[in-house]
Order: sequence, then structure tokens, then C-alpha cells
Amino acid sequence: VGDVVLVKEDESFPCDLILLSSSRDDGTCYVTTASLDGESSHKTYYAVQDTKAYYTEQEVDSIHATIECEQPQPDLYKFVGRINIYMDNEAVARPLGSENLLLRGATLKNTEYIYALQSNKNVFLLITLLTFSTILILSWSGVPDFWPSWLGFTYLRLKDSHMEILNREDEIERFELLEVLTFDSVRRRMSVIVRSSTGELYLFCKGADSSIFPRVISGKVDQVRARVEHNAVEGLRTLCVAYRPLSPEQYQEVCHLLSGAKLALQDRDKRLAEAYDLIEKDLILLGATAVEDRLQEKAADTIESLHKAGMKVWVLTGDKMETAAATCYASKLFRRNTQILELTTKRTEEQSLHDVLFDLSRTVLRQHGGMTRDTFSGLSGDCTDYGLIIDGATLSAVMRPGQEDSNSGNYKEIFLEICRNCSAVLCCRMAPLQKAQIVKLIKASKEHPITLAIGDGANDVSMILEAHVGIGIMGKEGRQAVRNSDYAIPKFKHLKKMLLVHGHYYYIRISELVQYFFYKNVCFIFPQFLYQFFCGFSQQPLYDTAYLTLYNISFTSLPILLYSLIEQHINMDILKKDPSLYRDIAKNCLLRWPIFIYWTVLGVYDAIVMFFGAYFLFDNTTFTSNGQLMTTNTQMMFGNWTFGTLVFTVLVFTVTFKLALDTHYWTWINHFVIWGSLIFFVVFSLLWGGIIWPFLNYQRMYYVFMQMLSSGPAWLSIILLITASLLPDVVKKVIWRALWPTTTERIQNADKLYKGQLSEFTPLASLHAPLKASGHRRGSGNQRNAPNPR
Amino acid sequence: MVKQEKESANRPDNTAFTQQRLPAWQPMLSAGIVIPGFVLIGLAFIGIGVALFVTSRGIQVLEIDYTGVEQNSPCFPCTDENRKNCVCNVTFSIDTLFEGPVFFYYGLSNYFQNYRRYGVSKDDYQLSGDLDYFKAPSDSCSPYEYDKNNKPIVPCGSVANSMFNDTFKLFQIVNGAKKQVSLDGKGIAWWTDYNIKYRNPSVTPLKTAFNGTVKPLFWSKPAYELDPSDPANNGFINQDFLVWMRRAALPNFRKLYRRITDGDYAEGLPAGNYTLEVSYNYPVLSFEGRKKVVFSNVSWMGGKNEFLGIAYLVIGSMCVFMSIVMLIVYAKFKFPEED
Repeated sequence: VGDVVLVKEDESFPCDLILLSSSRDDGTCYVTTASLDGESSHKTYYAVQDTKAYYTEQEVDSIHATIECEQPQPDLYKFVGRINIYMDNEAVARPLGSENLLLRGATLKNTEYIYALQSNKNVFLLITLLTFSTILILSWSGVPDFWPSWLGFTYLRLKDSHMEILNREDEIERFELLEVLTFDSVRRRMSVIVRSSTGELYLFCKGADSSIFPRVISGKVDQVRARVEHNAVEGLRTLCVAYRPLSPEQYQEVCHLLSGAKLALQDRDKRLAEAYDLIEKDLILLGATAVEDRLQEKAADTIESLHKAGMKVWVLTGDKMETAAATCYASKLFRRNTQILELTTKRTEEQSLHDVLFDLSRTVLRQHGGMTRDTFSGLSGDCTDYGLIIDGATLSAVMRPGQEDSNSGNYKEIFLEICRNCSAVLCCRMAPLQKAQIVKLIKASKEHPITLAIGDGANDVSMILEAHVGIGIMGKEGRQAVRNSDYAIPKFKHLKKMLLVHGHYYYIRISELVQYFFYKNVCFIFPQFLYQFFCGFSQQPLYDTAYLTLYNISFTSLPILLYSLIEQHINMDILKKDPSLYRDIAKNCLLRWPIFIYWTVLGVYDAIVMFFGAYFLFDNTTFTSNGQLMTTNTQMMFGNWTFGTLVFTVLVFTVTFKLALDTHYWTWINHFVIWGSLIFFVVFSLLWGGIIWPFLNYQRMYYVFMQMLSSGPAWLSIILLITASLLPDVVKKVIWRALWPTTTERIQNADKLYKGQLSEFTPLASLHAPLKASGHRRGSGNQRNAPNPR
Repeated sequence: MVKQEKESANRPDNTAFTQQRLPAWQPMLSAGIVIPGFVLIGLAFIGIGVALFVTSRGIQVLEIDYTGVEQNSPCFPCTDENRKNCVCNVTFSIDTLFEGPVFFYYGLSNYFQNYRRYGVSKDDYQLSGDLDYFKAPSDSCSPYEYDKNNKPIVPCGSVANSMFNDTFKLFQIVNGAKKQVSLDGKGIAWWTDYNIKYRNPSVTPLKTAFNGTVKPLFWSKPAYELDPSDPANNGFINQDFLVWMRRAALPNFRKLYRRITDGDYAEGLPAGNYTLEVSYNYPVLSFEGRKKVVFSNVSWMGGKNEFLGIAYLVIGSMCVFMSIVMLIVYAKFKFPEED
């Protein structure tokens, strides 16, 4: 029930469609889903087998069929349905999967036209007619790359369900593609069933060595295994290929198993997995392939920098241990002097997991027991560096809730304790969900570290979502990771600048922003509070309404806004060159209680200075002006609004100057907003008090500001109170800078000395605080765990 | 194609601002700047402080509390609320010449002129001479808006109602005879209050503008008769009224009453005995208040105020002290730029 929709080449689908037939003989079509998920590659979709022969409108019209499918669901790549086709009064049921479903909004490429039906909610019938003349895009997990193009064989194309292969004699061999047992990350393999031109049936299977070897019954197993391991150590990604000849009876059985599973509307995935498990067995090993997967440029430099910045880098990968370890050496995650601790299936087979864990924890604790980890790992070459390798199976054993004895519940704790003492951790053979599990485990550990996950593949999504900060790398492996990330970067090496430069800057900026806002409002409101003690607690406002309204939005807003946008306390290049500067802001040290209390105390102090400064000038004395503006030699009294205006003037100048003292990076914009704010305040006050405002029913500010400025003592007290308010903070800054300088401050000093040329010719290490003097330093060795997949 | 277009569409502007490459001045609070700066500021402050302190010391102030709390004080009889038009004489003597021009204040203590509901109880439109508000004063004046006969009160509100109404005459005793010291009541209020903010209705005689209104409940004379000696000093622009209407910031305050600037006393009050004749009208004992008169002269920095001078001296010395502390720290721990 539905309308037949015709979609032409380069048109997008108006609704979700089931592909019934295409003009291509093999019933496939190519589609780009760029507008849905940003993947611009052409993907192959398949027509329903029984209808792919209908090429014309009339033929399509004659189809009589019903479609059943499950309710719509959020996952773009999941679809389970069934089509019943009635031919000659006989119903044929066919499975529908996501490979048959053309999503609304996707675009048909290189197609003349299609027909389709506008569908009802969950029962719909759709007829599509496609024409093709498109190129084939190789996909990592698709069928085509099954055959290597070396060894004299070249994979040509898939045509009419036949794979065409050019053999060494330049002849085309044709294999009919019968079934595809698609790849999934649990099985870690995929298979095809083909019929050769001579009519023999074969099942070919490729997959990770660990998923192939257990199912192999013959072939040069040992030889291939040795070769695979050798390749893995060199950092190559390996695949094993095996086959199994099928007799026609076996094939019938296979078909039966598969169609039964594929037609199921419930638990289809589970039943398919069971079917695959039954089919992919008794394999004969053919051999192995190895692909060099190059590290992204500057990956090693980036990881080293993160290390120096005090972050712990964890690599979570699905690769074999040997491959992963080689990658880790290449990326300098492990160095030559790193002592590798293994927590792998191989070891736990020999000893119990319990013993291995305790062994390892003893090893690391012996080394680290006596000393603090608060050192610069980059500099302290003398102490042993540990690197831990754990594989997926062992990890799940560690994570399993305790059963044997009471101690086993502590495995997680022991594992974390070991990890804490390792500078790098490599988790290999990880399933996607295990990656998220690890992130969760780290997040829940007692230091509550901030985690950052970075990855580029769909299998990193769960981890990216789980971590505090998720970063996706825009790469060739689709946009799944990017779409689920908080930040997307084009290359791994950009992580360095992102964290060490922009991360550092933004942390400095946001912490100043937050604390300064508290500070300036304490300064603002505390005098108002104090005034209540002197006005009979009558809620008499100290400041005029205009000042109350405009303080936060006009007089003191722009300087801090600009600070939080463009402050750079150290040059970008230095931050990049010296990752250890990041330790100065580790563990959220700028937003901790001591700093917050300092700001608050400073705010209260300033408020007290301002209020009581004005109070003692007014109380019991004749704080009066000469009144030169008006008549000579007259003494005139100042009222309550003059009192409030005096406090407010000191206040605006003090908080603005405080920010000016904190600003290290004065662009013309900073000058403009800081001095501009003060000028605006003065001009506004002159204007506000300069006119009898017709729309106001009170004129209490009339000439108050000008009267105040006409008084010499008022000027003197404004200058005095501003100075007194700023004095302690300046002294604190200077003395702290001398006695307990942070690395940041040392480098600032040196940078000043070299007039900004520091980054070019100074060995920054010489400026680092000696370990003794860094007693106050907040940084420590393992502030920030950054699980970092490859 | 699509991808390329998208990339260029999302590419941020390559400006110095968006790329955070604006040229910048990068100052630092290094000891080399701060220590000399502190010394300079400290010395300047000490200089100002000394000048202020010395000046303040040179200012003469004479304060006399005449509330009459003590039984033997001259104004004690007047504290009886039943006595009307009570006059008391306060005598005092001056040892040396009290240099002129001398300013004559009255002062009130424990008097919360800054109380919020008191402070809003006035009508600025009425006080600017708008006759509409003579007939219907603003609600803000309540409960001093209408009297019990529902006649509008002008000037309405608590502030005006509570206007200070003690008056003073000053005599010098010369050879047993009283010689009156002439007091100048002009120009004691803000020029803007007198000339712009407060206006009488432009009706002559002024009295007719007040037809149909009543004087504030506590006043003995209506607003247009506040100063019988000077017709221009009446209504809302009466100087004493203007001084009163400018609310004090704190509960203990002084307000300017008169200046002694002309006649025989332009040079100051000579040594001798004086009598202050107080017509005692203003009750303060019900709220534990105190009344006083203050004679003072002024300097370039205003009235006597030792706090400002002392504060300057303290802050200035602290600057110098801190610069010494910083210098010690500097010498002992070596600032990094000296490495």
C-alpha cells in the first residue's frame, strides 16, 4: 500500500524506500548519505532478490507484495523487515535489512530515474527502479577487498552477482556471489560463499587471527601463525584468510540456516550470529595479509607532549597485542627504558589472575613506594618507567564481580593501583564496549580524574561518549566518531595545540572569569550590607538605582569579557614548546577552595576599605567641599547619595584596575574596554546627574557626582581608597612570584627578559622550578588520564 | 565537491582577532617596576598625608552639646515637652582668636535621616513647584500626605515634616553687654538645589499658591513664612529647608546652619565670652538623640578631618615598608630575571 516513487539520478529520496530493482542487472545501486552523516563515499544497496528483474513501469505495477518491519528506531544503520511477495498465488518471504533500505535525504548517484512508493507508517511497499553507471568504491569491510590485487590477481568488479577477477594470464575468472556473512566486531571476521565457474561452492572467510585460528582444521597453521606474529611485532595490521569447500548439500543447509535467521523479526542479530557460528567452521587456512597502518604525522611528538604535560595516556585498541605494542613504541608511548608489565591471557593461563595482579602490584609499589610521583617524568630519567599491557579477555576477568574468594572483589582496585603507577597503559583486543568500560572505571577511581577520549572510528563512539571530553578525528573511517564527539579535529597532532595551548588558555580565562565575577560582586554588595548597620536596617540602597542596574552590565562587564576571550598569559609558542607548563593548572588548581577563598577575602577586604574609608570621612567630621564650583568659600553638606556615589566610584575603579593588574596581554581592545569602561562610567555619571530627567519622579542624583568631584578631599579619598584596595593584591603577586614562582611565572619573567624571543633560543628546562622549591606546586604526576585510542 | 564547499564555508576568518594573533603589550608586575613604584607612591602619600594632617591640625573646632540631658545644663528646663517657645542660653568662652570665616553647624546624633521609608517620603514634583501636586501630593509622602481634614500638606512627607526648627542667636559678652554676632544664612545650600532642583510656584505673592493646603503637622509656620526677614528666602528655596532636605548619609551628622563672614566678625571670633541663645523646639530625647552646635573654620581641604591625613600616612608608610620587604625578598631569593 503506497505510491510508487520515481527517483532520478542525483535526486534525494523523498522518503524511506525499499529498493526493489535497479537498472543494473545485479540489482545493486549506489547511494551517498553525505547529507545524513557526512560520509560522501558511495555505498552499495541491494534490491530484493525476487523483484530485481522488474525493469519497467508495467512490470513494477504488477508486483503484489506486503512488507512488514519493526517500528522506526533512532539508529540510522539498523533496519529489520520482511517482504512477502505473492507470485502465482504463492507467497515468498524475503528478508529486508539496512542494505535494502534507502534512507530519506540520501542521494542517488548516477541514476536515470527510480519509482518508489510513499509508505505508511510501518507497513509500506515500495518499488524502486534504478539505473547505474557508477564506479565501485572499495571499502575496508566490504566484499571487494577480499582479494589482494597483488600476486597477479586483480579484482575487477562485481557484475550481475558475479565477481570478476583478472588472473595471471589476463583472463577473467567469474565467481558467483551467493551469500555474504557480514562483518561484526564481536565475531571479528566475515565470509562470502561463492560458486566458481566450474560449479564448485566455496566459503571464504577473513578475519583477525584470533578469530580464524580456532576454526581452522588444516593448512600451514604454525607457519602462518609465526608469520602473523612477526608482522604484528612490526606494527602491521594482519588478517587471516581461510576457506572451506561446500558440497551442494552443505550449501542447502547453509542457505536454510541463513534465510531462517534473516527472516526473523525478533532477535535477528542473535540468530544470525548463531547461524554464522555454525557456518564458519572447519576452515582450511589459506594465508595471511598484512597492511601497514601508518601512524598519523607527529603522533609520537603529540603523545610525548601529553606525557610531559602530566597526562596519563592509555591506548585502547582492537589490534593484536604485538601490533599495538609496536605502535606504542613507534608513538613513544613506551620508550626503550620502559619496563613492560603484561597482564594478558598468556600470563593468566600460567598463573591465576589473582597471583599475576599481586605480583605486578608488588613490582610497581616497590619502586614507587618511597617517593612521590610529583616529578617531571620527562626529566627524571633515573627512575623506572612502567608500561602496562592488558588485553580484552583479562580485562573482563578483572572487571568481573568477585566470585572465588573475598579478595577478588578488589581486583579492580589492584588493577587501578597498578595503572596509577604506570606512565602508560595499553589495552589491546578491546571490544568497543570495553573501551567505554575502561573509561568508566577510570572515572570512578578515587582521584576522580578528568578523562578525555579521542578516536576516529565507529568503534570509539561509546568511549567518546563516556569520557568527560570526547574528541573525534575526522578521518577516512567515517564520521561516526566526529558526530558523537564534543570537539572534532582533522588530525591527531592537533590534539597537542588543542589541549596545551587552547585548553590552557581557556582554563586560565574561565577561572578568572568565574572568580572575578564573584569578587566584583562581593565588592559591590558587601558595602550595601554594611550600610544596613548604619541606616537602621531599613534596606536603604547605598547606590542609586542606575548604578545598581548598570554595574554588572555596563561598567564592569566588557573588560572581563575581553579578558576571557583574548588573555594569553604566556606566548602560544612557549606553551606548545613546553608541555610541562600544563602542570601548573593541573587538578583544577585555579578553581579550588584556597584560590576561591583568596578572591572572596580580597573582595571583602576591598569592600571594607571602600565602605569604612567613606564612613570615616563622613562620620562626625565635616567632609565638605569648598564649593568652588558654585560660590566661593562656602561649605556645603554631602548627603547619603554622595556617600554612595563616592563608594561606587572607588568600587568601579578598583575592580577595573584589579582586572588590569591580572591582564598579561594588552591588545588595543583591552585598552579600549578597560579605559573605555572607566570613561563611560564618568561620562554616564556626569550625564545622569547633569540633567533633571523628566521621566523620573525623583531627582536624587542631580549634581551629586559633580558636587563630589568639586571637592578636593573627595579626590584625595578616591585615590587613597583605590590604592589601599589594590595594595595587598599587588604585594601578594610580587612576593609570591619571588618566593614561590610557578613555572609559568618563571617563563613569563624570562620571556620578558628576552623580549618575546624566548621560544627561539632558550632551553626551557633550565627555568623549571627545582623540585624542592615546588612544594606548593599543585601539579602532580597523574592529574589527567587521557585514554587515547589508536 | 560538496565536501570542499563545506570546508570553506566552515573555515574561520583568518583575522588577527579570530586567530588570537593581535599585537599586544605584555606587562608584568616584576619587582623592578613594583619596588620603585611603591617607594614613589609611598613617598607621595606620606607627603600628602603630612600636608593633610598639619592642615587638619590647624583647623579649630568648638562643639557644644546643648541637648540638656544633665539637670544642671542650661537647656534642661526646655526638655519638658509641655513648655512652648522655650529659650535657653548656653555660654562658652574662646581663649584665642577663632579665625574666620567661621562656620556654624548644628549636629544631630542617633538620628536616622538615612532610613529608607523616611527618605522616600517626599514629592519631588511638588518641591519643583508643580501646582498639580499641591492639590494631590504623591503617595510617597504618606502618612504626611493629607491632614485629618483631608487637606493636602505642602511640603508633604516625613523629611519636610521633621525639619529642624531650633534657631540660634550668638552674642559676644563685651563688658557685660551682649553684642550680637551677625550670622549669614545665604548660600549654605547647594547652588543647584537653590536654583534648579527646588522651585517655588511662579505665583506672586507666594502665599496664594498655598491656598487650600496646610503646613506640615510639626511646623509652627507655613513654608512661605519661614524667613520673615527676607521674602526671597521662603517656600521651598529657604536655605535651611534645602539643607535639611539633603539627607545625611549616616546617623550622626552635622548640617551647616550659618556662616560668620561679615561685620565685625569677618576676621573670626575674638577671644572672650559668648552666649548662644537657643530657641529650643526640636525634641530628640524620645529617641535618645543628641543636639549640638559646632563652630569650625575650614582649610583648602575642607573641615577638620584627621582621618584622611592619617590614612594617607598609614598607606604611604605601608607602601614604603612593603617595598623594603620586597627588596629583602628580592635580595635573598633572587628574582629570576637576575639569573
